[in-house]
Amino acid sequence: MLDIRRISTSRWWHKQKSWIFFGIFLFLVFVRISKGSFYKDFYYFISKPFWPGQFQKEVILKSIDQESLIKLNLLKKDNIRLREILSLQESSNIDRISAAVISRKTGGWWRQLILNKGSKDGVEIGSTVIGPGGLLGRVKNTSMFTSSVTLITSPESKLGVWVDRIQISGLMVGLGDDYPSLIIYSKDADIKVGDFVSSSPASTLLPPNIPIGIVQSVEDPFRAKKKAKISLFAQPHVIDWVQILKSKN
Amino acid sequence: MNKFFIKKLPLIFFIFVPILFLWHPNWLGFLGVQPYWPLLWLLPWSMINGSINGLIFGLFLGLILDSLTLDSNFTQIPGLILCGFLFGRIKVHDHILVGHFRYGLICAFGSALCGTLYFFQILLKNFSDSTFTLFIPSVQNILAEVFLTGFFAPLVCSQLLKIFKIFK
Repeated sequence: MLDIRRISTSRWWHKQKSWIFFGIFLFLVFVRISKGSFYKDFYYFISKPFWPGQFQKEVILKSIDQESLIKLNLLKKDNIRLREILSLQESSNIDRISAAVISRKTGGWWRQLILNKGSKDGVEIGSTVIGPGGLLGRVKNTSMFTSSVTLITSPESKLGVWVDRIQISGLMVGLGDDYPSLIIYSKDADIKVGDFVSSSPASTLLPPNIPIGIVQSVEDPFRAKKKAKISLFAQPHVIDWVQILKSKN
Repeated sequence: MNKFFIKKLPLIFFIFVPILFLWHPNWLGFLGVQPYWPLLWLLPWSMINGSINGLIFGLFLGLILDSLTLDSNFTQIPGLILCGFLFGRIKVHDHILVGHFRYGLICAFGSALCGTLYFFQILLKNFSDSTFTLFIPSVQNILAEVFLTGFFAPLVCSQLLKIFKIFK
């Protein structure tokens, strides 16, 4: 009888190559857990020569005019209301950090911006990001030199908003296209096309009265839950400079 | 030094995949969607180095790309692993013209697979909400991505395949 015997004692764990692959795998798991901060910082340095300059004047000025007008009206109203109720004379001194957009994904599955200011510059997770026109999103993740912003069009974004004309709060949900959906949990809400939507005064995530957009169309007007499509003021696919408002603590 | 770089050329291209993914050049896009860049590298790599290599590097690519996106609930790993494995089973075709068009078709198929797997994850996560509103933009994303990936694949993959073959 032939005795079947293993001639080679080589196993996969005896090979140096397997351990190299395992090492790379562990490193990449670390990269994954740290949300790629190494990679983003590396990208920060190599993309530095290509950062946006100060152009797009027309688009930005138009959006700024629109934003300022609406914001002014809202602030006036808010101020009068607050002074009447509480006699408050507080001015809103929110710290702002200007940042350039160094990477943007405004279409497809991933809707996010990467900005050239990070934890080194004092950007915190949860800070609100605004651009010419109004609200863009919130900072979800920071590395030393960069911060990543989830846009309000992202399916991950859910925010409380305020419809000024009918004085009602609603929930704005990103759908993965350019028009987020506004959900109002009230049968009697008289929401109409053209209604102006801003951040909710009751929101704990955002500062109040940041312009967001205008109701573009209303769906299912006969149901208990009303839905509307919102056309946004801020255009993330053309904006090169944004402002980060430090989160409220 | 020079020899080292030439030998590691496929891996240098590998590093460029996440950079392209971050760069997101709008002028190469369609409806705001980009070609699915990782597949354009994964196809030639897997065809030359086989299924197991394709699977491993699919996993590596997935880990890196997941770390660059903010959606912590969804992952690209299953799609890329599956594509890496499947691409490894494809042999290089002798006929140049057939080969070129084949890359387009294969990458378009791979992109549809990855897109659908990603969409299913979103669908499962948002199952309680109204799913129909998510459906239209997602299908549009998948179709645009399939078209673009299929469009760029013959151009990019055949060049990469040539380079990888020379420096293997």
